Amino acid sequence: MIYKPLLTLVFLILSIGISQAQYTVTGNVSDERTGETLIGASLLIKGTTSGTITDLDGNFTLPIPNSNGVELVISSIGYNSITLKVSPSQTTLNITLKQDATNLDEVVVTGLASSVKRSNLANAVSTVSARDLTGTTTIQTADGALYGKVAGATIRSNGGAPGGGMSIQLRGISSLTGASQPLIIVDGVYINNSFQSTGRAAVSGAGGSNQDDGSNRLADLNPADIENIEVLKGPSAAAIYGTRANAGVIIITTKRGVEGRTTVSLSQDVGFANPLNLLGVDNWSEEKINFFFPEQTRAQELERFRAAQASNTFIDYEDYFYNNQATLLNTRINISGGDDKTKFFVSGNMTSEDGTIKRTGFDRYSIRANIDHKIAPWIKLGVSSNYINSSTDRGFTGNQNNSGASIGYSIAYTPNYYDLRRNADGTYPTNPYFSENPVAVTDFGENNSSVNRFIQAFTLDIDILKTDKHFLKAQIAGGLDFLNNATEVYLPEFLQFQSSQANPGDIFVGRQESLNTNFQAALVYNWNVGRVNMNSQAGMVRLDFQNHSLFNRGRGLVPGQKNLKQAAVQEINSEFESEVQEAGIFLQQEMNFEDKIIGTLGIRWDKSSLNGNPNEFFAFPRASMAVNIANFDFWNSSAITLLKPRIAYGETAGPVPFGSTYTPLGGTNIGGLLGSTVATSIGNTAIIPETASELEFGVDVGLFNNRFSLEATYYIKNTQNNIQNLNLAPSTGVNTTPSNEAELSNKGVELGLSGTILEKSNIRWFSRVLFWKNTIEMTRLGIPTYLSGGFGSGLGTFLYAEGYSPTTIVGTPADPSVPGGFTVWGDAQPDFNLSFSNSISLYKGIELSFLIDWRKGGSNINLTSFLNDGGGTTNGWFDDDNGDGIPNGRQREPEPYNNAGRWIQDASFVKVREIGLYYTIPRETITQWFGGTVQGIKVGSSANNAFMFTKYPGYDPETSTFGAQAVQNNVDIAPYPTSRRIFFHLTLDF
Amino acid sequence: MKKLTIKLSILAIATAFITSCNPFEIDEIQDPNNPSVGSVSNNASKEQIQFLITGLESRHRGYVSNVTRAWGTFGREIWNLNASDPRNQTDWLGQNGRVPDRSYFGFGNTGGGSWATPYQAIKQADVLIVAGENTENITTASKSAAVGFAKTIQGYQFMIPANWVYSNGIRVDVKDALNPGPFVSYTAALDAIKVILDEGDQALQAAGSGDFPFTLTSGFDNFKTLGKLRQINRAISARLNAYRKDWSGVLTALDGSFMELNGDLNAGPTHPYGAAPDVFNPIYYLPNAPVNSIIVVHPSMLDDATPNDKRVAEKFFKRDEPVLVTTDAGSLVGQYQDGRWKSNTDPIPYIRNEELILLKAEAHAQLDQSTEAIQAINIIRNAAGIGSYTGSSSKEALIDEILYQRRYSLWAEPWGHRWIDARRYDRLNEIDTSYDKGTIFTEFPHPQAELSWDEYKGD
Repeated sequence: MIYKPLLTLVFLILSIGISQAQYTVTGNVSDERTGETLIGASLLIKGTTSGTITDLDGNFTLPIPNSNGVELVISSIGYNSITLKVSPSQTTLNITLKQDATNLDEVVVTGLASSVKRSNLANAVSTVSARDLTGTTTIQTADGALYGKVAGATIRSNGGAPGGGMSIQLRGISSLTGASQPLIIVDGVYINNSFQSTGRAAVSGAGGSNQDDGSNRLADLNPADIENIEVLKGPSAAAIYGTRANAGVIIITTKRGVEGRTTVSLSQDVGFANPLNLLGVDNWSEEKINFFFPEQTRAQELERFRAAQASNTFIDYEDYFYNNQATLLNTRINISGGDDKTKFFVSGNMTSEDGTIKRTGFDRYSIRANIDHKIAPWIKLGVSSNYINSSTDRGFTGNQNNSGASIGYSIAYTPNYYDLRRNADGTYPTNPYFSENPVAVTDFGENNSSVNRFIQAFTLDIDILKTDKHFLKAQIAGGLDFLNNATEVYLPEFLQFQSSQANPGDIFVGRQESLNTNFQAALVYNWNVGRVNMNSQAGMVRLDFQNHSLFNRGRGLVPGQKNLKQAAVQEINSEFESEVQEAGIFLQQEMNFEDKIIGTLGIRWDKSSLNGNPNEFFAFPRASMAVNIANFDFWNSSAITLLKPRIAYGETAGPVPFGSTYTPLGGTNIGGLLGSTVATSIGNTAIIPETASELEFGVDVGLFNNRFSLEATYYIKNTQNNIQNLNLAPSTGVNTTPSNEAELSNKGVELGLSGTILEKSNIRWFSRVLFWKNTIEMTRLGIPTYLSGGFGSGLGTFLYAEGYSPTTIVGTPADPSVPGGFTVWGDAQPDFNLSFSNSISLYKGIELSFLIDWRKGGSNINLTSFLNDGGGTTNGWFDDDNGDGIPNGRQREPEPYNNAGRWIQDASFVKVREIGLYYTIPRETITQWFGGTVQGIKVGSSANNAFMFTKYPGYDPETSTFGAQAVQNNVDIAPYPTSRRIFFHLTLDF
Repeated sequence: MKKLTIKLSILAIATAFITSCNPFEIDEIQDPNNPSVGSVSNNASKEQIQFLITGLESRHRGYVSNVTRAWGTFGREIWNLNASDPRNQTDWLGQNGRVPDRSYFGFGNTGGGSWATPYQAIKQADVLIVAGENTENITTASKSAAVGFAKTIQGYQFMIPANWVYSNGIRVDVKDALNPGPFVSYTAALDAIKVILDEGDQALQAAGSGDFPFTLTSGFDNFKTLGKLRQINRAISARLNAYRKDWSGVLTALDGSFMELNGDLNAGPTHPYGAAPDVFNPIYYLPNAPVNSIIVVHPSMLDDATPNDKRVAEKFFKRDEPVLVTTDAGSLVGQYQDGRWKSNTDPIPYIRNEELILLKAEAHAQLDQSTEAIQAINIIRNAAGIGSYTGSSSKEALIDEILYQRRYSLWAEPWGHRWIDARRYDRLNEIDTSYDKGTIFTEFPHPQAELSWDEYKGD
């Protein structure tokens, strides 16, 4: 019994050996429009695995192993594939390929060990190519470069500080707690994208570390290294990723070497940044002073005002702190090449970008080596190594309490007639209006995060057997992400607030270390049943995550010293360790009936040490089907060249937060003794992961030889067992226990329409419109209605009630008709998003592209206005729009005045995200100038966040003082203003 | 054939490798950061009991900042000026008609420092009592001492939520986190607290004599014997009995307390504070600190002061520069800050000989024993340097006088004495709101989380 299949295998292998060339096809491949030859285009004999690629001049030679006519499939990245017949009588081919407007031929990674052609895909998977991602302008972080490029992705910037800080929500909300960010996989490595603590909120008194305004660590990845990003938006596409895929999966693939001549590419960007939007501050008058200040201080205020008038020294502090020009420098070098055995891609990147607030900025140094090597013809090793060193200085903005360590608060409370600038003797005036002199904090405060990171991936592909009709291969892959983040927040002893403390001078030193490792092994068997091509996969996944953080604080510092030992009060502020182990098994079967009907069935089982029962497997099935109607013989419309209805279903889960099962005794120190205190949260030893199921269906249409394409998708994503804290009666001395009760429903539409509007010899205009919309409803809460997030009902908070979206913003005055008892003032969820991107190629070598991003609806809780109103500095504060004698700043609409509704404001915007204009100098000219040394020169100019149109009365409608959050991600408190970035670019290829 | 053999061998090796590490094995990860509550529930070691006792001391001081600031503001002993969050003014002073709701600023859904925190101390004491009962590692006398200590603290802590929600009543049966008992009225709650305190006293008595068998912090300096701890228990009972209007009960309790008519008025236990890893005195501010988030003395305290009152000179520190805070309800100016603390590591007393003497005065006045009442009043007056009492010896006059002296003697102690005193004598309307145009609150509703729990259990 055992021998029979083995003998079959042997026979099949032997049959390869006897194949011999019967005739040879030669020819050339070029671009239809420009006539330029295509290097590396692939030619494949249809139905087999043999083929070749074109050389540097676009030429190819392909031996055909029999004497019959065969079909060749010719493809090249970015071009539509074509199929041509050849026969012993037709052996010379001059092939032209058309640029692919719709990317139908690109290969999309859909499984853990498989991929599928976009035209056969049953899900709306978005792919963002390097060209789309970084082709127009230079963006600091990879997530920032995704704005408007992925239908279904709501991307939010937490603020304008350099070095990132973005959150991505794919298809609404999957989790009620935490950040709920997509799983990010870079070259197969499950990377750490957490928002790491910096300690700023502890020093400034803002509160928890979610108010640190830290970067998410995707910021470390050099966007220019990325070949493409695939976004699996929901469970139907991401089911095979199991437990960590509830919020979607973002698969990042970096560039790799190609066979051929070694190329060296050197790019330099020089740019500058300015604030995108400033609000202005209100002027003062004697009348306003008399109104604003109490009797006791009026005389002094008037005296200060008159002195300022006499010397004409009024200071617009917003302008002073925020309106600075920052220098942006980026240098990149790529070296790539290889032969048929070994290919390599080596890159280096130096980013040095200042912020618009003094002494802030982001520096990143990255080195990458991606190497592929064929150990034997049947065994291929790929390694990707990336070392990153980044240093981020984000300054002092955002929330604070009492410490004054936030510029925005000082701007809000300091009138423009009081001069806070440095005295001639080097000291700083004491700020009588707030706890701190922000000029001194900006000049001397430090808030730095320095990351050393190593990301290493490997893959091993082993062809176990390979025939014309079958192949069996094993794929072993794995990797690690080691990250060390050293943070330092420092406020020197002579600052106003520090000198008001018993122990002046504050240093907060953090060390965070994380190690993610993953290992995956799979067997892939490709075979045929009649006319159906079958691809079967089976494999396992192992994931381990370790984190350790240690924060120390020193107060009462020796002047000028930052070493913890130079502090009068030395404190271990916190230490935290976590370890997570997960394992999974997956099976997947793909069936393809002649590219006409494509079906997939899959299942994954996962277990995790985070769960109440670490040895319980949870199953995540998936099924999908796509029908390419236009590929059937009966279809003969020349207008509609692709018509593909598709449907997909899948299930995923979101992990249980670490520690949910524990009921700890905390450590506490009092009077020199160590005590144990009973925690205020009880662990839930029966906790299970929160799960989501999604049904997605849609249709893809290609028109006029796929010159235009339409992708329309509707999804229903339901989540179950959503984890949230059940509030216990606090009179029992415990406040919460995690529960698995809630259920959410997200429903949405995604539309993409793209096409080549003009295609002539001297102009090619490609345009794309994406539209997406999501609605959320809490279908089951399971626990009593509650309010959470923000700063309470007086300033706007969120309603968690059945039948409402958890993004609903409520606040005073009371409204008994609404569950929770307060008036509904807004919803954080946008009504819809729409993006419009264009790229226009003119004549030879000129390219113009731009991207417009429109977000309609969605409200923010604008507490920056609240602060400015409190300090009398809001632009127009003393005006009286309704003429009732009460100035605007003391009477904000809606009526009845001065309730929470005044701070909940529409955050709609239109942003021109990217504009780029490039010129590629013609090859002939370069040859004239440099002979053969230089292969290509490209020059250009671009802008990022070029323009913003909004009625929102804040710096940027995109802001989140609490960082990335599933729900409360729209609270605006004195953020770092967003920058407009303008660049000049030069790229040289050797 | 040979190639296939190689391939199969490689696969076999790979399989063996994978199997040997067993990638499917998941460890049960124990909490790497803390011991579990379960670890003390059965046969706890003596050290573990000690950790729970020290933990109870820590929980015992949890309320201090919130109660001092908020209740002090409600009774207009202080203003908790805070430019960073205007709600410290607008909401706590009841400006523009604001009244407490179930998740009011500073208290949240759980009632924060005035509700959840004292109940956490009560919970901690319960865990200590259970751990003591279920262990063979300490003597019966030690168990009894631990119970006595735990119940004494519980008695004190229960009074905080009771006074915060007043007529709305509190839960007193709170041992089972998932099955708390019903809310009982203020009077019933005070009676239940009396039982707890009496049980605590008896347990301390049953533990014998000599030193308390566990280590206590400096907060109990001079009170580290079983007998002295009983005196603290009785002092707390005296305060409770005044709220219960059991005036002879006040006098009985005072007899067992550490009251000493000729002794140091400051004698009594304290909440200790210190540098890290401890925490600093949470209400300490550097004199003349150039900040605008600071506790200031309410101007009425100065308006109403008796000339040359030493307490005014000692407790109220006049700043060089006043503190100004503006909000949408107007501006507040504070000229004086808290002058009681020499440093940020000073302990905060929570029941002192001075209060006990004032309780004695009040009880005698209520029992129409004016001579004894005046005698006690004069101890306080003379210590403050304002001479003996010369007013009427009518009950009403004496109560007026005692309440006045309590305002200065017990100013800004972590209890909100003025607010509670004005309420128990129905004089909330006498509190001065002319400076802030606010409202004087009577009490708070139950925090939202309590209501939500009842709703959840009702399902």
